[in-house]
Amino acid sequence: MRGRRSEMLSAMLLLLPFMAAFVLFFLLPALQTLYLSLTESSLTRTSAFVGLANYDTLIHDPSFWSSLGNTFYFSLLTVIPLTALGLVMALLVDHFTKASGWLQGAFFLPYVLPISVMTLIADWMLQPSSGIVNHLLGVQRAWFSDVDWAMPVVAIATVWWTVGFNMLIFIAGLRNIPREQYEAAALDGARGFAVFRYITWPALMPVTITALVLQLIASLKVFGQTYIMTTGGPFNTTRVTLHYMYETAFTQSDAGYAAAVAMAFMFIVVALGLAQALLLRKRKGRA
Amino acid sequence: MRAGQWSAVALALLLCCGGPARAEVQVVQMWTLLSGGDGARMRALIESFNASQQEVRVESTTLKWGEPFYTKVITATVAGAGPDLATIHLSRLPNLAGGGVLRPITTAELASAGLRGSDFLPRQWARSHYEGGAYAVPLDTHPLVLYYNKDLAGKAGLLDAQGRLTTIVGMPALTNAFRAVKEKTGKAGLAMEAAQSTYAIWRLWLSLLAQQGLPVVANGQFAYGPAGERTLAAIAHWFRAGYATAGQDYPASTSQFMAGNAGFMINGVWEVPELVRGTKAGTIGFRYGIAPLPQLYNNASTWADSHGFAIPANAGRPMTPEKTRAVLKFVAYVSTHSFGWAEGGHIPVYRPVAESAAARALMPNAEYAAAAANVVYDPAGWYMGAAGPLEAIASKFLPAPLAGQLTPADALRRFESEAQRLLKKRPPRY
Repeated sequence: MRGRRSEMLSAMLLLLPFMAAFVLFFLLPALQTLYLSLTESSLTRTSAFVGLANYDTLIHDPSFWSSLGNTFYFSLLTVIPLTALGLVMALLVDHFTKASGWLQGAFFLPYVLPISVMTLIADWMLQPSSGIVNHLLGVQRAWFSDVDWAMPVVAIATVWWTVGFNMLIFIAGLRNIPREQYEAAALDGARGFAVFRYITWPALMPVTITALVLQLIASLKVFGQTYIMTTGGPFNTTRVTLHYMYETAFTQSDAGYAAAVAMAFMFIVVALGLAQALLLRKRKGRA
Repeated sequence: MRAGQWSAVALALLLCCGGPARAEVQVVQMWTLLSGGDGARMRALIESFNASQQEVRVESTTLKWGEPFYTKVITATVAGAGPDLATIHLSRLPNLAGGGVLRPITTAELASAGLRGSDFLPRQWARSHYEGGAYAVPLDTHPLVLYYNKDLAGKAGLLDAQGRLTTIVGMPALTNAFRAVKEKTGKAGLAMEAAQSTYAIWRLWLSLLAQQGLPVVANGQFAYGPAGERTLAAIAHWFRAGYATAGQDYPASTSQFMAGNAGFMINGVWEVPELVRGTKAGTIGFRYGIAPLPQLYNNASTWADSHGFAIPANAGRPMTPEKTRAVLKFVAYVSTHSFGWAEGGHIPVYRPVAESAAARALMPNAEYAAAAANVVYDPAGWYMGAAGPLEAIASKFLPAPLAGQLTPADALRRFESEAQRLLKKRPPRY
């Protein structure tokens, strides 16, 4: 009894630093944002309580919905490729045991770049007149101002930049698969793709689900890449929801409405993340 | 190295042994958004002011131009942590003064610094007021102008016997001039920034609407009517017809002109110093001229903005009379010494300087000084002004027809749909 109580105490003590930071920097600001979303507020001054008026505006705001559509488009272009490429890279690292350190380094390197450096590199490569991409393709395209290409090139740059993280998750997953399973499969005559299909792939399923959910949330939260590379253009076709929230708060000094955008967006992200996790778990159960 | 060390020692001695005299020195903190050549010229003015007397020392901090600067001024002022003085755009005055960010400056305070309203050009002095009170001291005005490459314009037959641009009146005449350059020389007719999120098209569009007597917004409604679309279509035609390069950002458009690859450039006067410098250094291989923006419709209205000095209304930290005197002493000094500022291309607005023989003779400024009489500002409104919310929205949509991505009608429809919420919203108090 005593032992359990002191165990509880030390658990509490260990949790305390995280809980304090969580309450102070996440929970309280989140509750404050909720309150702010029910008021008419400028950037600095919280004024009248307006109930759900901001949410009413939000539902009828085409700019909000189009920004949400752009966010989903970006997620569509990044979630699956990032997860799949991460897996392929992890398999390569795992397969080429002699070069694995080098491969891992090469694949992970872009991830350590700050966003400013990554966007600068992408910007240089995609320069309309002097960029290497146009040079190699023999075209004169202004990628970031091209209605059809602006979002895809941002997505490609993002995949190159962040895929290393997913690779790490998959490498960890691969190393957790017991060697005996492979040995047993080899004894039974399993070769090549069959090994992957019947051993690696099912064993990696929990990791894949985690990677997909984390990636979906990360992709929905896109802001920096489009903000820097396209500034949301051409004519808002790459303006994502967080960018719209930022503009509402800082360019238009409408913190109340921006808070409503933030709350609505958080709700959507949480709902989508949960739905995806549930769906994938169910499928896994069936498989 | 040696000299640096000695001056560091000298500075240290000054700092520690200044003694009682230093207690009386009023330190004025100024925030500015002036960078590049403007920033250097302002620093020079501050240094010469600091050297000219013992009572006031101005310390200046340069912040990033546009929205970051204004956001910082607004939030810092509300928290009582703003500077004693800030350089602002007069087009932002309704937003800043109306939002409670600036402190009014009384006539008596101005008079004690030797400044009078009648000493400033009337349009700029009027733009420094909000609801009857003065909230800024204007420094300059910087309109759009028409730069031209005399070598290319000459080949296209657009110069008179004195080698100056023959007067252009009417949209067809200007379009023909661009086409003549393109056809006779093979170079671009016009260099102008037109990439997404650039402001120049909005400024030109505002100018041409004003030339037709039309405001963008009146009584909380978009008021430009069908002329808005026609005007935007006429601008877009220059790009669609190949007289100008669509999608160029600011640096690309200026270097196109500076490299002698365009007959004309529509841009603000702030590119004048670069042309003067390049000509002196021999990096600009052509003769250039500058004309006011031509009259393309009923009058010669030209978009302009102005820099001005304003005193932030730091919450809970009212300015002492001594500090106010110190701030205005500096402002008066800059006003009376604004001839140096004119070398930045800007037209000074302090009349004893602006109307002096020296200013009238200053080249190439004298070529476009007449534009000052025709300048129009953004219409009043909390959402108006440099890097303000409406300009930010317009900069996204107005360039699109130039690249053929949207029709002018579609661009303006999207612009209105996005901006509608601003017009309906109550002006924010900060």
